Amino acid sequence: MNAAFWILSAITVIGAVLAVTLRNLVHCVLSLILFFLGIAAHYFLLRADFIGAVQILIYIGAVAVLILFAIMLTHNVTGTEGPREVLGGKWWSGLATAGILGVVIWWAIYKDQIAAALPSNQKAQSSVLEIGRALMSEWVVPFEIMAVLLTAALIGAVVIALEEVMRRR
Amino acid sequence: MSIPLGHYLVLSGLLFVIGLCGALTRKNAIIVLIAIEIMFNAGILNLIVFWHYKEFAVLTAQMFTIFAISIAAAESAIGLALVIAIYRHYKSVDVDEMQSLKG
Repeated sequence: MNAAFWILSAITVIGAVLAVTLRNLVHCVLSLILFFLGIAAHYFLLRADFIGAVQILIYIGAVAVLILFAIMLTHNVTGTEGPREVLGGKWWSGLATAGILGVVIWWAIYKDQIAAALPSNQKAQSSVLEIGRALMSEWVVPFEIMAVLLTAALIGAVVIALEEVMRRR
Repeated sequence: MSIPLGHYLVLSGLLFVIGLCGALTRKNAIIVLIAIEIMFNAGILNLIVFWHYKEFAVLTAQMFTIFAISIAAAESAIGLALVIAIYRHYKSVDVDEMQSLKG
């Protein structure tokens, strides 16, 4: 488990760094898929099997493909721009903000030594059967609200994306 | 030899900072959305980590994760639809060029 954690963490962090630094947008999305796979593998390592499968299905299967479609619809994918065209104005202040937040997070974790040293729980496990039962009994109201939200998001996305096309007719 | 909780917290914090860095420095609106997805995943990872280390008998963390992932999917669909609408209007997806609120 120890070696697996370090290898997967390295893959995940490299995927995340490449996803926000590469010039070519398609390469960014491919790195993002690597990052999503790393996170899913972490879920499997933490014995949350169902969440890992959901991560692969939704993020890699839906979100990454959606982003790829958006890139193809909006941008020329050649993307050989200089650093000035890639970075927004005042990028150094954004970098400083992220750096300060990173130091604060690291300090907060470092300060609580007892919690940070909590050993891994070998007994943890989850079953899809239990999750399904809970979704259909205790969590049925949030589940239905989620269905309404997803329908609203679907209709809203179509309306927003097609607004100007409909106005032209 | 098992991994202590702190390692996962540091990993998740690092991923969040990487995502924030990308969201604040990049110019392309689609990369900003990608960076927001990275931050979202770093946050969700924490839920599962705390479930594994502390509350593995209760399913609340898994339910929250499922709902958070669904909301993230809806959010990215709306975000990309907005990016496409803005591209039609401005012929560009640079966040620096979106400076007017109306028209």
